[in-house]
Amino acid sequence: MNNTQHTDESFAASRRDVLLGGSSLVIAFTLGLSGREAAAAGVSTPIGAFIEITGANKVNVLVASNEMGQGIMTGLAQLVAEELMVDWPAVTAQQAPAGWAYANPLFGIQLTAGSSSIRGWFTPLRTAAATAREMLITAGAAALNVPRSSCVAAHGKIHVVATKRSVTYGQIVGDAAKVPPPSNPPLVSKFRLIGKSVPRVDIPAKTDGSAIYGIDVRLPGMLYACVKHCPTLGGTVASTPAKPAGAIAVVNLGNAVAVVANNTGVAKSLSEELSVHWTIPATSAQLDSALIQSKALQLLANGTPQIAEQFGTPDSALANSAARIDSTYSLPYLAHACMEPLNCTAVVTANSCKIWAPTQSPMLCVFTAQALTGLSPDKITVNPTFLGGGLGRKFEQDYIAQAIKVAQAVKAPVKLTWPREQDFTNDQYRPMAMVKVDAGVDSSGQIKAWIYRNVSPSILGQRNPNMTDIDTQATEGSDKLAYNFGSRRVEYVIHPAAVPVGFWRSVGHSINCFAVESAIDELALAAGQDPLAFRLKHLAGNARALAVLNAAAALGNWTVTPVAGHARGISFSDAFGSLAAQVVEISAPTATSIKVHNVACAIDCGMAVNPDQVEAQMQGGILHGLSAALWGQVTFAKGVVSPRNFNRYRVVRLPEMPQIKVQIVNSGGPLGGVGEPGVPPIAPAIANAYARLTGKRIRSLPFFPAQSVMSDG
Amino acid sequence: MISITVNGKNYDCASPPTTPLLWVLRDELGLTGTKYGCGIEVCGACTVIVNGEAERSCDLELKEVAGRSITTIEGLSPDRSHPLQKAWIDLQVPQCGYCQSGMLMAAAALLKQNPNPTDADINGISNVCVCGTYQRIRAAIHQAAKG
Repeated sequence: MNNTQHTDESFAASRRDVLLGGSSLVIAFTLGLSGREAAAAGVSTPIGAFIEITGANKVNVLVASNEMGQGIMTGLAQLVAEELMVDWPAVTAQQAPAGWAYANPLFGIQLTAGSSSIRGWFTPLRTAAATAREMLITAGAAALNVPRSSCVAAHGKIHVVATKRSVTYGQIVGDAAKVPPPSNPPLVSKFRLIGKSVPRVDIPAKTDGSAIYGIDVRLPGMLYACVKHCPTLGGTVASTPAKPAGAIAVVNLGNAVAVVANNTGVAKSLSEELSVHWTIPATSAQLDSALIQSKALQLLANGTPQIAEQFGTPDSALANSAARIDSTYSLPYLAHACMEPLNCTAVVTANSCKIWAPTQSPMLCVFTAQALTGLSPDKITVNPTFLGGGLGRKFEQDYIAQAIKVAQAVKAPVKLTWPREQDFTNDQYRPMAMVKVDAGVDSSGQIKAWIYRNVSPSILGQRNPNMTDIDTQATEGSDKLAYNFGSRRVEYVIHPAAVPVGFWRSVGHSINCFAVESAIDELALAAGQDPLAFRLKHLAGNARALAVLNAAAALGNWTVTPVAGHARGISFSDAFGSLAAQVVEISAPTATSIKVHNVACAIDCGMAVNPDQVEAQMQGGILHGLSAALWGQVTFAKGVVSPRNFNRYRVVRLPEMPQIKVQIVNSGGPLGGVGEPGVPPIAPAIANAYARLTGKRIRSLPFFPAQSVMSDG
Repeated sequence: MISITVNGKNYDCASPPTTPLLWVLRDELGLTGTKYGCGIEVCGACTVIVNGEAERSCDLELKEVAGRSITTIEGLSPDRSHPLQKAWIDLQVPQCGYCQSGMLMAAAALLKQNPNPTDADINGISNVCVCGTYQRIRAAIHQAAKG
C-alpha cells in the first residue's frame, strides 16, 4: 500500500473538473472512459469526489483533510474502505485539492483544525462511499446480466451469490459512475476496518525520504526565495534594497523582502546579510513583555469583563466558604515551531496560478490567490503537500501570499522558504494570559463558589475588531465545565496587546486547563482531600468523566504510594468533544529541572477509528504540552521577538521523554477529536505533582524559564 | 566544481564552495529527503552520514566535504529494507515525519558503531521531534538492533 502524491498539472486539471460538481455527494464523472478503457489508458476513474478506482482494481481515496502527522489520510481512507467493501491493501490515499466538495461538513469550509476531521467526515464520507458501492452493485449486476438483488459487494468485486461469478470494481467503474446515485444507501453496521489499527498509508514514504512536503516541491526552471521580515514587529520596508551580487531579484513584500536566487542556501545567506532600511512605527514599542504583563495585572484587577457564564451568587458564597483560594496563574506567549518551516511554491501566469503548499486549508489559499491575481477560482490550482507539522500555524495565509507575490514579480516558478529565524520571529503566537481564580469550599469540602477571570488577547477579536460576541476560542475550557460547582462566574477580559496571536494546538484549552486544573487541585488540598477523590466527587453523575479519571488513575497507579522522592499529579479536561485525564509521576526537583518519569493518559473520544493513531496523538499532545510547560515562552522587547531559533526554544529530546501509557476508553458516546485533547492536561498534572512533592505551587509557566537553552548536536 | 560522493554516486557540484551541504543535496542534487529544520546544528533534521559519522549537514560547507562519501536517507537502502526502516514501519513511528530522515540517519550511524545500544546510548541522539515519536523511536532502534 502506498500513498500517492501527484503534483503534475494534468492531475490537478482532472481534479479541478471533479470539483466543479459542487456539493460533497455529487457524482461528477469527467473522463468518460469505461473501466477497460481506463485500465488500458492507465488512468483511474473517479466515482464521486472522494474515490478513484483503477483498472487494476486499486482504490484511491481523495482525503479532504490535510496530513500533518495526525494520520488523517489513513483515518478517512478507513471510512471509505469500510463502506466500499474493499480490503485495506488495495487502498491508497492522496490529498484532495481545493474545493467545496472537500469542505469539512462541521465548518462548511475546507480546513483541517479543531480536531474535527473524523467528527466532520465520519457519516458524510461513509455515506459517499456507500453511495459509490451501491452504484457499483447496480453496474456489476448489469455487466453480469443478473438481477441486482442477487449481487453483493465484497473485496473490491461485485459477486453473484448463487453462482460465484464476479466482476471487479475496476472493470465496471466507468459504467458505475453513470448510475444515478441512490439517496439513502445503507451503511455498514458491523465494522471490518473502523476501529482497527490498520497501518498508516503515509508512513513508508516517511522512512526513505520520498515523502514530499511543501519544502520539497521542485519544478522545472524553479527559483528559490527566502524572506526577511522587519526585525521589529509592525515595521515596513522603507525602500527596496538593491539586488546583492549572487541574487536574481529582491522583491518588496511590504513588511518583508524576499531575496531570490538559484539555491535556497544562497538565498538564505544573502537575505541574512542584506541591509534593509525599515520604517518602524511608534506603536511597535508597545509590543513589550513588561508592558503587556503590567497591563494584564491592571486588567485582572480593574478590567471590564465579558461574562462567559454565571450561575447562583458566587460572591456571597465565596464570603461564606470554609476554605478559600485566591490564585493567579500566568502563561506566556508561545511559538508554533513546526519542524517544517513555512514555505510555499507558486507559478503565476496571465491566466493561471498554481500553488504547492503545506497548508491546513487549500481553500483559503484559493481565496488568497484570487485576491492577489484577480483570477477566477477555476484558474487557480492548489496542490496540498504533506505538512511537516501544522499545529494551527499553517492555515494562515502570510507565507502563501508572499510566494504568490514573488512569483508574480519574477515571472517564474518560485519556492519561498522562511528561514527558521523568520518562523520564530513572525509567528501568530499562542496568546499570553493571566487568570485569577477565587474559589471556596464548604466544611464538607464541596466547592460552593468559583469566580474565574481570564485576561488574554483575543485571537478572533484581533482578526475582527468589530466583533461584539465573546471570543469562545479564549473562553473554551473555562466555561461549561464538567464539574458541579455550587455557584460560579466565568469572566473574560480582552487584553489589547497587538502582538499577533493565533491558534496553537488546543487554543484556549491550553490556557484554561492549566488554571482550572491547578485551582481544583489547590481546592482539594485546602479541603484536605485526595485530588482524585475530590474531582470524582465534583463529577458525580457524569459516567464518562468518572470512567476516564478512574482509568487514568488505575493506569498511573494513583492509589499506590510512590517511591520516596517521587510524587504524582492528576488532571482532567473536556475538550474538542473528548474527555482526557492524565496522571504524571515526577521526582528530583531542583531550581532548574524535574524528572518526569511517566504519564498515564486515558482518553474517551467516543470511538477510536484507529486506536494506534489515537495513542500516537496522545503521545504527541503530551510531548507538545510538556515542552511548553517546562521551557516554552516567547518574549518581546519593544517589538523585537525572542527567541529566534531552537537554541533558545528548548523542546523535549530523547533523554527527557517520559514513558507514556495510553488507555482508550471506548464509551460509545459521541465522536470526539484527538489531535488536541492530549495537550491541555499535562501542564497542570505536573504542577499538581510538583505541589505534592515540594509543597510549592507553580502558578506561572514555563516552570524553568531560565533553562530554555538547547545545545547543538 | 567540487566533487562529492553521495549514496555511491559521484557528483561535480556547481554550488558556491561555502554553500551548506544541506542545500547542495536538496536544491542542486534534488535529494530532498534531507530536511532543513534550524540551520544551526541543533535540531538534526538535516542529519546525514559522512565517512561513517552522523553529521548535521546544515552547517557543513560543500568545500569541507570535498571527496568525502556521504549517505543520505535516500541511500539508506534501495527498498526500505534497512532494519531501522522495517522497524520504523512496523512500530508506526513517524507522525508528521519531517524529522524522521534525520532520526533514521542518526540511528543508523549509532547502530553501525554500537550494534546493541542501551537506552543511555540512544539518549545520545540529540535530534528533535516535536510530534512526540521519541518513545517509538527508542523501541524501533531496540527492535532493529535485535534483528
